[in-house]
Amino acid sequence: MSIVANADTRVVIMGGPAGVNAARRMGEFCHLVKKPLNVVAFVFPPDAGKTVEVPYGSQLISLPVYRTVAEATAAHPEINATLIYVGADRATKAAQDALADPKIMLVSMITEGVPEKDAKLLAKEAKKRGKTFNGPSSIGILSAGEARLGVIGGEFNNLVLSKLYRPGSFGVITKSGGLSNEIMWICSQFADGVTTAIGIGGDAYPGTDFVSYLEMFEQDPQTKAVVIVGEMGGNLEEQAAAWYGAKKRRIKLIGVISGFCQEHLPKGMKFGHAGAKEGLRGEGSARSKTDALRKAGAIVPDTFGALGPAIEKVYREMVESKAISPIPEADAAALPKLPKSVDQAIKSGDVMIEPLIKTTISDDRGDEPCYDGYPASELIKKGYQIPHVIGLLWNKKLMSAQEAEIIKRIIMLSADHGPCVSGALVTIIAAGAGINMAQAVAAGMMMIGPRFGGAVTDAGKWFKYAIDQKLTPEAFLDYMKANVGPVPGIGHRVKSVKNPDKRVAELVSYVKSLAIATPHLDFALQVEKITTAKKDTLILNVDGTIAAILVDLGYPVESLNGFFILARTIGFIGHWIDQKRQGSRLIRLFDYLVNYATPKRREVPPLG
Amino acid sequence: MAKVLEGPGMDLFKKWGMAVPNHVVLTSLDQFDALAQANAWMRESKLVVKAHEAIGSRMKLGLVKVDLDLAGAKKAVTDMLGKDVGSGLTVSQVIVSEMVPHSAEYYLAVKSVREGADLMMASVGGIEIESQWDKVQHVPIEVGEPASAPALEAAAKKAGFSKDLVPKVVEFARKLHQCYDQEDAQYLEINPLVLDKQGELVALDAVTLLDGDARFRHPDWNFTFASEFGRPYTSDERAIMEIDSRVKGSVKFIEIPGGDTALLPAGGGASVFYSDAVVARGGKIANYAEYSGDPPDWAVEALTDKICSLPGIKRIIVGGAIANFTDVKKTFTGIIAGFRRAKADGKLDNVQIWVRRGGPKEAEGLAAMRALADEGFNIQVYDRYTPLTDIVDFALKGKS
Repeated sequence: MSIVANADTRVVIMGGPAGVNAARRMGEFCHLVKKPLNVVAFVFPPDAGKTVEVPYGSQLISLPVYRTVAEATAAHPEINATLIYVGADRATKAAQDALADPKIMLVSMITEGVPEKDAKLLAKEAKKRGKTFNGPSSIGILSAGEARLGVIGGEFNNLVLSKLYRPGSFGVITKSGGLSNEIMWICSQFADGVTTAIGIGGDAYPGTDFVSYLEMFEQDPQTKAVVIVGEMGGNLEEQAAAWYGAKKRRIKLIGVISGFCQEHLPKGMKFGHAGAKEGLRGEGSARSKTDALRKAGAIVPDTFGALGPAIEKVYREMVESKAISPIPEADAAALPKLPKSVDQAIKSGDVMIEPLIKTTISDDRGDEPCYDGYPASELIKKGYQIPHVIGLLWNKKLMSAQEAEIIKRIIMLSADHGPCVSGALVTIIAAGAGINMAQAVAAGMMMIGPRFGGAVTDAGKWFKYAIDQKLTPEAFLDYMKANVGPVPGIGHRVKSVKNPDKRVAELVSYVKSLAIATPHLDFALQVEKITTAKKDTLILNVDGTIAAILVDLGYPVESLNGFFILARTIGFIGHWIDQKRQGSRLIRLFDYLVNYATPKRREVPPLG
Repeated sequence: MAKVLEGPGMDLFKKWGMAVPNHVVLTSLDQFDALAQANAWMRESKLVVKAHEAIGSRMKLGLVKVDLDLAGAKKAVTDMLGKDVGSGLTVSQVIVSEMVPHSAEYYLAVKSVREGADLMMASVGGIEIESQWDKVQHVPIEVGEPASAPALEAAAKKAGFSKDLVPKVVEFARKLHQCYDQEDAQYLEINPLVLDKQGELVALDAVTLLDGDARFRHPDWNFTFASEFGRPYTSDERAIMEIDSRVKGSVKFIEIPGGDTALLPAGGGASVFYSDAVVARGGKIANYAEYSGDPPDWAVEALTDKICSLPGIKRIIVGGAIANFTDVKKTFTGIIAGFRRAKADGKLDNVQIWVRRGGPKEAEGLAAMRALADEGFNIQVYDRYTPLTDIVDFALKGKS
């Protein structure tokens, strides 16, 4: 048996992430005691209509989220309790709604920092309606082997160690979250464990007090003794003493009270619990509480350390008097285990997983990203630049300063070629149509292909082919003519021998000024000599120059268009921002720019 | 609970229609002349000057001066501001108020009790109230209900107020309860409540304890809360309060001068048992502290730093029960970082550390603590199988 919460308790949790965490903990307990999940629904208006997945054993149970408690109880008539995890400024309203719901008989408020007046009003309201209002600041309620409401009991391992999978003989009432676990642990070590443990919360005026629950424990035949943890401040312990001493009680009462240190401390000092504070006229000291309990016949050990042995003594006496029959120890191996998450299983080496993807360039699992193994901040500290990052991520090579300078110049020279080229034009049209930056720039990027920018890769590919096959420029041109077509990287619409491209001259002269081998560039220039002899616009263009140089630097051919894409992204973003800043209008082509070479207007024939 | 000093306390009384003396609060002498210029009452009435601090027995310490003229008040302010009142605490604010000549002193208070409020009144007041406590009349007022006029009237008559004074006392008491209820107070006390020359009741003093948890619904609470134990908070205490106010979970810290045992326990409940255990074994605690609700490790590190900096400590007790959801490994990471820094600063020479804890990631957390021994820390680490406060017994063994 148990009090307040049992296997029939069905809970709606009010509140967001903290409530979901509690539901997970409750799911762990239900799995341990082989009972169905006792959380039925959530009330959390921002997520109303969605569902929350709560792990239960190795399954995930989907629970609905409602806007109001009334909607939740209408959809789930079995709900009879609620846990409140709503923030302190809204918790009172939540509790009022729950108390007003005819189906909910238990409201346990976990929220801390609820105003004292609100707690008193809620307690009054609950009493009027014949309901239980537990908390605020409650850690929860746990009935061993039956139900856990909240996170009381802590992690799964502690539930098992404290034998909370089956009822014992001791009731527990505490004001403190941490101590509720400690007392349950002590009861399992020095006696046969607990029936129900309740956190009433450490506030000055909790909704329910020791006496409310002592009465219930007295009526619960499974509970043979109750351990209360009290502290200085207020008079709940004195009331418990008065209740216990009023007549002969079936249950034994064991108490431990903190706050003797107060005799040595400044008056009015604030302790961890709002309620733990001596009254203004010295009321509610630990000593007076202890005396009252002892006078009423309760067992109150001198120190916390003596609590375990005191519980053990009570337990042994009750076993001897046959009030308690010892429970055979459960086989721990037969208890349900909490399934491991994939993370935990990998960590403990229990499973081997075939990865879905493989990466060889970067890793950001540590405190910062590493590019090909080099931490980004270290690269910065040692003076490396953006071209080095490109080198590491595209080619897995840490370039020299000289090589990086070439890359930098390539990007600078290709960053933008004005508004008329197809990529920039499309970006501008998209910007005028009100398309956002990423999409407008992407639209421009889609123009990159064999006729615009996309020749870099192809040029690199064929120059490399020629060198690899040890072809002469003449043989190469013959091969291209016979098998491929125009040589990528050769030829320009407006530039020619007479009207040379300064960008090409600049790049070539810089690269040639360095002491590096440039077989592909040299080859491309030889090809140019032959082609320009035939037609003076068949010059080595910027795409071809960049391609030859990059292949010389060891870049894989599949990376080469990337330089054009990267560089042009800078320009396209600029064009988009420029249009945006001007508030440019939607562009529509003028009719006179289109040759309407369509048939004249004619009759539509009847459909045959 | 949160104590409010006299000035803002009186302002709250005034807000709810209770008469209080004119008053101003000063933090520097420079403000005095300007305030005297702006407030005719300062030039026209006799004045009272008091240290505006949470310091007990101000009268005894010479921090209350009465019956002053403007020049006398300025001198009193000059003397009081910045005065060292021992333990390194200085007066940083003074309150100057109008002296109210009066014929009689009474007592009026409202206290929070479980069912609602206990309104107290007596036709005696001032220091006499302590010796005549049996004359105090009590009117219970249920939470959510207004004070009942007939009940107040009966109490006022029983308290011995004269016939013409009864309606005035009842009205004042009604307003005091309204102030208590609407301002989320936990305790309000007027002692003395006096009858001025015009025959009107005036609250000459205000003890005001508000519910700090209700702050969210009182945007006009523009004052800071004062300590409730007879001295202002120290800068370290304020630093931890500041952290406490902006983190998940809680960190708490109060210094107690002269102690040899520093406490760094987890949990609002267990922390007091640890304090008790030290005192019971004849030790002297150097502080009260507590962290709970899974605070971030940096907050625990800041708390550790303050604890390691307590003067004259011989041992540190890192105690705690079995946590529900506080991550032992993570919070211990903060404590360990604090310990390392303190050790590097030479603060932990000859200081023993005792640890006992359980909860999520307890094995990893305790192992990390245990490993500190290899770094030269004098540290003893225990797990859940050692009863909660036994480490205090071990730590103080050989003593007493």
